[in-house]
Amino acid sequence: MATATEGSTPNRLQAPLVGVPPPPRCGLRARLQWLWRWVTWTWSPASEREASTAIVENLWLHWFPAKIVEESFSWRYSLWLGAISAFLFLILTVNGVLLMFFYVPSTQQAYWSIKDIDYVVGFGWLLRNQHRWAAHLMVLVVFLHMLRVFFTGAYRAQRAANWLVGLTLLLITLLLSFTGYLLPWDQLAFWAVTVGTNIAQEAPFVGRGIRFVLLGGTQIGQSALVRFYVLHVVVLPAAVLVLFAYHMWRVRRDGGMAVTDPAAMPIGPAEPASPVVTKTYSLFGITPGTSLEVRAARPRSDEEAIPSSPHLLRRLILVYLAVFALTIVLSLISGAPLETPANPALTPNPAKAPWYFLWLQELVSSTTVRVGGVTISGGLIGGILVPGILLAAAVLWPFADRSPLHTIGRWFPRERRLQNAVMILIALGILGLVLIGMLGRGPYWQLYWPWQAWPVLPRRL
Amino acid sequence: MRFAPNRDFWALLAVSAAAFAAVVAVAYREYTPEWQHHMNEFRAYLKARGAFDAAGAVPNTVQQIWLPALDRVDRCISCHANYDGSITALTDLPPLYRAHPDLPYLAKHPFPTFGCTACHGGQGFATDEVAAHGEISEWDDPLLSTALASTYGLTRAQLMEIKCNTCHRHDDSTPGMDLINMAKAIFDKKHCTSCHGFEGGGGLASSDLTYDGDNNPELLDFSNVTGPKTALNWQVQHFESPQKVINRSGMPNYRLNDAQAEALALLMLSWQRLTFPPEYVPSARRRPPAVLPVVRQVPYPPPATGQLAEQGRYVFSNRGCNTCHTVGGGSLIGPDLAGVTQRRSDQWIATWLKDPAAVVEKSQDLQAWSHEFGDIIMPNQNLAEGDINALMAYMKEFPPAPQQQ
Repeated sequence: MATATEGSTPNRLQAPLVGVPPPPRCGLRARLQWLWRWVTWTWSPASEREASTAIVENLWLHWFPAKIVEESFSWRYSLWLGAISAFLFLILTVNGVLLMFFYVPSTQQAYWSIKDIDYVVGFGWLLRNQHRWAAHLMVLVVFLHMLRVFFTGAYRAQRAANWLVGLTLLLITLLLSFTGYLLPWDQLAFWAVTVGTNIAQEAPFVGRGIRFVLLGGTQIGQSALVRFYVLHVVVLPAAVLVLFAYHMWRVRRDGGMAVTDPAAMPIGPAEPASPVVTKTYSLFGITPGTSLEVRAARPRSDEEAIPSSPHLLRRLILVYLAVFALTIVLSLISGAPLETPANPALTPNPAKAPWYFLWLQELVSSTTVRVGGVTISGGLIGGILVPGILLAAAVLWPFADRSPLHTIGRWFPRERRLQNAVMILIALGILGLVLIGMLGRGPYWQLYWPWQAWPVLPRRL
Repeated sequence: MRFAPNRDFWALLAVSAAAFAAVVAVAYREYTPEWQHHMNEFRAYLKARGAFDAAGAVPNTVQQIWLPALDRVDRCISCHANYDGSITALTDLPPLYRAHPDLPYLAKHPFPTFGCTACHGGQGFATDEVAAHGEISEWDDPLLSTALASTYGLTRAQLMEIKCNTCHRHDDSTPGMDLINMAKAIFDKKHCTSCHGFEGGGGLASSDLTYDGDNNPELLDFSNVTGPKTALNWQVQHFESPQKVINRSGMPNYRLNDAQAEALALLMLSWQRLTFPPEYVPSARRRPPAVLPVVRQVPYPPPATGQLAEQGRYVFSNRGCNTCHTVGGGSLIGPDLAGVTQRRSDQWIATWLKDPAAVVEKSQDLQAWSHEFGDIIMPNQNLAEGDINALMAYMKEFPPAPQQQ
């Protein structure tokens, strides 16, 4: 990072030209600085255009814009939730691949291979704990990312498409976590998936078919395990990668982050902004000049933009290290649970869905009505109607939202008070139901206060 | 522009330090496992006693007995390293370093074949004490320790009879399994299978007991049971007084004493759906000596000439007589039938074929002779009069026995 030199002009890049000898008769400090740059910099761009070209021509850096606007760099606006979820996905991919070397997707061996990972595979406990924590965090962070986008109105106008991609990514994240849930083949896995797929079964007309296709039969067995495994390690991650790439491309194409939009942007497909003479980069470095595909809302002066490298790169390294450290610390504190081997004949008490589906299970159980000997299942209301309506509303809302466009890119603007309040209520409702399910539901699905001890369940010995 | 080379510097430094500290903590946890601590202490202990060779033999890796046939891996020996006395023959050692006592049945249950947990319970996969001893809610097969046994007023050996009987289920009586032996005798004497279903048979009046040990303990009613909420405790009190535990239970009160009730409770818990390879399951039946246990190549009986004899040949092969008998090929499970009609009268053979067991019962000679064939008496084939006549006609065409030639 020793690229700054005091007294240099602000618009000049700070690196020394390679091959330039140290200034004669300079101090030790200057000589050390020169030495450092001589070791760490192999090339010194002569101009900002050259520096920008270097970024767009680099495989790893090309998905950055050459320059980014200062506002989109703020912690407060985006909370960097998208970057955090991307890094969680990276961590999950890396230790997921390592776990695949040891995991055997067979009902006979899956549980024991997880035991081996926990107890004798070198750093196996870390792989599994970190995978588990990163997965939980990813569900949470992707959901928070969606809330952030909603509260800042960043799904409006041309960004509606990316909102839909984001919703799909959220659903895939839930599916990824859910398919991973079955793989340890312990009681927790077996019964969480039993609850989950039984809720899916309540969908009218297609429910049984969906469950049959998902499980490869009518019962959770070897065929279900293999299907979940293939979905978990190949199909869904591949879908995430493709959609993630599109998501990022769309962010660029739609004019960057919403916070950088001008206060009053024309409604609808506005005529392309006039080419900005000061812009020296192009999209992906493929098209010459400023691509018309990029909606740059208003001309940006150099004063408002900073080079992606090193600023964005360094910030991303910072976010990554924070996420990495957090997952490791959590893995050290608390491990991934592994209960007794899956036993279709023995239901654990209570049997709970994964935590992010607990609000659905809570809805299902509280809308189930027993009149005399007749039970009306709440599966349709809690499992299908409520989440279906919420999802449909989320899909349609960008096209129904009539709040003024100048509210885009700001947290909780007055004009969006009502819809933000509704969203907060929905989010709090989901969170509340999840917490009730996680902490409150004890044996026989009875409600207990967190400080109340659950009754001791009988054991064999 | 705001080119800020030091932006995020302190945050980056702090987070890097945190990540580094986390990695160091991970390495510390990975490289200081619990078993290694025990092995280091064991080594130091042996050196302090001057047993330097033995100290050198203490392993420095996870040790395990791998039992593919049982789907088990027993890593108990990572801490109990001297389990077979191979490290040191010293006997006055602390419990963890002590070798397994040389008990009479150990010769038939060698460590490499049976491991540890098949008899002792616990979680063989685990490498830390609490998890390995199975004293956690995630493992429902805890170590059958003295402490656990004493909560039921049993010795450890008595509690472990549950494990013995998972293999010895079909033994009438097994040395060393006094409680279970007693329970099996009671089970037969009280005709429990008159009401209870059992192993595909038994009565329909009450529950099937075949896998009673696997039943979910949460389904038991503990409202009238005192003491710990465990299936074993429920069983004991239920055997002592069925009506006290289940109101208006149809099961008679057999006025069992404490030991009998405990024995039956252990027997119930031992009936689990555990599958062992056949070589692990002791045979309840005595094998007939000097008789081939399996007939692989069945000599086909000779052709028949007469019409009645042809009918007899059909009966002979249809009933599978040649599974046990040859004609001139020597004894198999039953005697060689060559020249049988010369050895025995027609009347005798006809009586025999009608009911072999009745003939043997009346004859001391035949009883003695049947010893040669492992006391297996020919099963009654329920042959019709016509079939018997046809068989006689067919057997008359058999060649004479070799020594008579």
